[in-house]
Amino acid sequence: MSGPTRDPKGATISFCFDGKTYKARAGDTLAAALLANGVGLVGRSFKYHRPRGIMTAGIEEPNALVTVGDGGRAEPNTRATDVFVYDGLIARSQNRWPNLSFDVGAVFSLAAPMLGAGFYYKTFFGSAKRWMFYEYFIRKAAGLGNAPTKADPDRFSQRAAFCDVLIVGAGPAGLQAALEQAEAGKRVILVEQDSILGASLIRDPQELDTAWAEGAAARIRAAGGRILTRTTASGYWEHDLVTLTQRLAEPGEVPSSGVAQRLWHVRAGQVILATGSIERPIAFAHNDRPGVMLSQAARTYVRRFGVLPGKRVVIATNNDDAYKTAQALQDAGAEIVAILDARPQFSVAAAGAESAGLPVWTNAIPSSVSGARHCLTGVTAIVDGQTKSWKADLIAVSGGFTPVVHLHMQAGGTLDWNDAAQAFVPAASRQNVTTIGGAANPDPVFPVTPVSNPKKSFIDFQNDVSLADVDLAWAEGYRSVEHLKRYTTLGMATDQGKLSNMAALGRLAEKQGVSIPEAGLTTFRPPYTPVSMGLIAGAGAKNAGAHVRRLALYDVHAAKNPIWQPLGYWFRPRAYPQGQETLAQAALREAQEVRTGVGMTDVSTLAKFEVSGPDAATFLELICATTVGKLAVGRGRYTFMLREDGIAFDDGTVWRLDENRYLLTSSTGGADRMATHISYVRQYLCPQLKVSAVNVQEHYAGIAVAGPKAKPVMDALIKADAPRHMSTVPAEIAGVPVIVLAASYSGERAFEVYVEASHAASVWAACEAEVTAQDGCLYGLEAMEFLRIEKGHLVVGGEVDGRMTPMDLALDKMLNKAGGYIGATGLSRPALAEPGRRQLVGLEAISGDIPEGAMLITHKGASPEGHVSAAAFRILEGGSVALGQLKDGFSRHGEELIASSPTRGQEARVRVVHPHFYDTAGERYRD
Amino acid sequence: MTDVTMTLLPAAPLHVFEIWSNPAAVAKRFKAATGFELPATGTSGGSEALRLIRFEPTVWLVEGDISALGDVLADDGALTAIGGGTVRIRLSGAGWRTLLMEGGVFNAEDPAFSAGCSAATIIDHVNVRLHVVSEDVCDAYVPLSFSADLLHFWKEAALSLFEGVAS
Repeated sequence: MSGPTRDPKGATISFCFDGKTYKARAGDTLAAALLANGVGLVGRSFKYHRPRGIMTAGIEEPNALVTVGDGGRAEPNTRATDVFVYDGLIARSQNRWPNLSFDVGAVFSLAAPMLGAGFYYKTFFGSAKRWMFYEYFIRKAAGLGNAPTKADPDRFSQRAAFCDVLIVGAGPAGLQAALEQAEAGKRVILVEQDSILGASLIRDPQELDTAWAEGAAARIRAAGGRILTRTTASGYWEHDLVTLTQRLAEPGEVPSSGVAQRLWHVRAGQVILATGSIERPIAFAHNDRPGVMLSQAARTYVRRFGVLPGKRVVIATNNDDAYKTAQALQDAGAEIVAILDARPQFSVAAAGAESAGLPVWTNAIPSSVSGARHCLTGVTAIVDGQTKSWKADLIAVSGGFTPVVHLHMQAGGTLDWNDAAQAFVPAASRQNVTTIGGAANPDPVFPVTPVSNPKKSFIDFQNDVSLADVDLAWAEGYRSVEHLKRYTTLGMATDQGKLSNMAALGRLAEKQGVSIPEAGLTTFRPPYTPVSMGLIAGAGAKNAGAHVRRLALYDVHAAKNPIWQPLGYWFRPRAYPQGQETLAQAALREAQEVRTGVGMTDVSTLAKFEVSGPDAATFLELICATTVGKLAVGRGRYTFMLREDGIAFDDGTVWRLDENRYLLTSSTGGADRMATHISYVRQYLCPQLKVSAVNVQEHYAGIAVAGPKAKPVMDALIKADAPRHMSTVPAEIAGVPVIVLAASYSGERAFEVYVEASHAASVWAACEAEVTAQDGCLYGLEAMEFLRIEKGHLVVGGEVDGRMTPMDLALDKMLNKAGGYIGATGLSRPALAEPGRRQLVGLEAISGDIPEGAMLITHKGASPEGHVSAAAFRILEGGSVALGQLKDGFSRHGEELIASSPTRGQEARVRVVHPHFYDTAGERYRD
Repeated sequence: MTDVTMTLLPAAPLHVFEIWSNPAAVAKRFKAATGFELPATGTSGGSEALRLIRFEPTVWLVEGDISALGDVLADDGALTAIGGGTVRIRLSGAGWRTLLMEGGVFNAEDPAFSAGCSAATIIDHVNVRLHVVSEDVCDAYVPLSFSADLLHFWKEAALSLFEGVAS
């Protein structure tokens, strides 16, 4: 590998590779910069730790995989050919120890004959216990690069876009298409994964050059087109939806705006794929060494980056394109020591090269190369059946061209075999997609049959898969290309078969004695090039996927420094500790205050629906399984709702606010589901009803005041006699109109105050002042849970878990005897009344504390007959109680069971009891 | 820097105006009472004093003075207050369309989505109603519980929006 060949004064950017600082030019890829600094050894192969250099100049690079960046920003398995150097870039080689030059793992190379395809399957078998032993070593050896252990400090964004025409690839064909479409008045998006436009024009400026590309881009923009660089079309989905991954910062770089990458969801009227083709390598012994490079890549390094990757160069080809490389290298000062053309006859290009003095050999195929860890020293070939050798530090190879057809295939398209090009090309499309340029019309090539030792002739460089591995898989009976892929690991990881697929297919077809298209093709799935996981998560990567829903009174609570609890998407105060109180201490104090005095809490998250119209009662009697129609104005009732199959799915209260106006409340956790259910019933089941059902969950903030002193508190607040239990009145608190409902979840005399959320703060303040005056306190979700469990009230998601009927929950006496509600028919199924169903029970601890979630068993080793759905401590008396579901539970009161939680290592002896531990007669509701 | 400004509009009465029967008669009464037609789907109508935005086939969001609407509806529909749970965020400046594409699925960049148009969509998992006031102003109606986080999302997005988009 040659050293720098360009003026070092131009290199002003500092970067670091494996701890050593180098200089680069603006616009250099890391690969170009390393070559310019004479660095030939860049990585170690995955399996055998063979020394590897830089083979390509694009996203198809299989060898030069490095980790770029530090800390949480580190990006492993970055292709050195696909990262542009910035000041301060830090890159590290991978898969080596202690260093790249001296890698202990290279010992695996000595054992290569034993480590062929299927090695794992043939070696690591036996009992599970033995596998546990193997696993330790396999995990130590497996993997490529290390994922960062720190959180990524950067953000990832996602956005939508719509266009008439999306053009993928800004080479000459893509630019020309984009220009025509934009100037025809179409909304155009043109994407290019490189940092500059032009693609092959950068490497081969002829009639069109980079100046033409810049001019075309300016015209596209002037016509309203959008051009995205450093952007890759990563997936093609249904209805011409294409995802684009856009880099706003290079790997490891601190993004100027905080956003490292953006995922575009582009819905296009038409898609034009100008994705070009990827040059194929040629199989020969040790073709993975540093100093073996694709022909077009060598040309790119010379013409785009001004880097000469070798001084004594052998060209190996089966087509005319490589002669351009010979010319470019010679022009840059390299000596072309041989051009090995696999074709038996001189082509026009070959004849031209020979007449220009270049040493062209036809019917010549490389068989092996030699060299050291860092460089190449010689090339051997079979020429007309004779072995010939040359001293060389670079071999530039071209085995033909593979069109980039992955997006066409992901769109559901089919492929045709192009025999002249020895490649698959796009055929029929199922979506509105067209392929143009090199991807549709690859150059013709001559088929090459390898003449080398198959054990050392690699076809998948990234996964160390050789021709011998394909031969072995065939010998062992793997006939399908899909099986071959999985057995040999061919085409996996970042490579995805870009360089390897056609070589493997060729070998498989040769073994099968069929043509390549008859041998089959593996499936193309997105993404074809790697996509960061954080980009798929988008902004949600930082907050577990979704926004937190904040209470209208969030700031009021936050000022009191509560312990917060996520509840669905909501954040609610779990307890308000005083001094050094723990959560349990605070919750117990708060619950005791409700039992003996008065407490208040925020119940704004409850689902709330305002139902109005002359058919409101009829509508509610469909939604609710209890009677509603006979409710008097100013009265309310507990209710529950069933699915169409008769299973309970939510509960709440219904209040008649006016002649034709009701307020329906239901659970927080089921609020969205209930909104969907109500909408479904309204729009599909009974669109004829004269009713409006509006979701007012967020319109009203809710404040619950509970305890023996709640009545005097409410009397003072509304300056009138507070309503009796299950009654409602409109009132004013602090000058703000409110609805006061007398309802209790705690088991005490209690009220719920509903106020328009934008005025909630002043009403809360008034309530808090009055509660404080009565020596009361705020209480959170934990105390509320203690209170409701002791009272035996249900919670959706706990006792109401999608399996229980009203009979199982002992609610059947409340069912509307006239029927007609949703679920009535489903509820009549005989199976729902058969013995053996789980039923709601109370559980009282005989010894130990009852673990929540524990299974209920009759004796150790027995099968579970139920489980504990919620557990708490008796608030005033002490002791552990719980609610649970138990097989035939109603008839088992008094039975002793074990509540066992093996995952927590906890156990308690319990007695089955009635599920109401407190005020079973409901006397505390009454004044 | 971006060319979009986000302003929290003061809390204001918002109502759901729903028709369940005799839509033609209601529309006639509405026109007579207000002087303008009930807006068609995806559009809004009215003035700063009373604006209706049609969100569903039989449902409009009403912003402003509703005193005449009870008689307009009579027994053919209902008016329900929802203003307490909705935060109005005004997006001003030429960049509001680009901002709304962040985390979105709706084509806010479509020039046809112009003054007087409305839409209901999802932005970064949040259900949002949009109303284009003018070429440089779009009002977003956001659920109160999500408003702080969505505003934060928009502010962060605005800081990065035009980075790397060579257009």
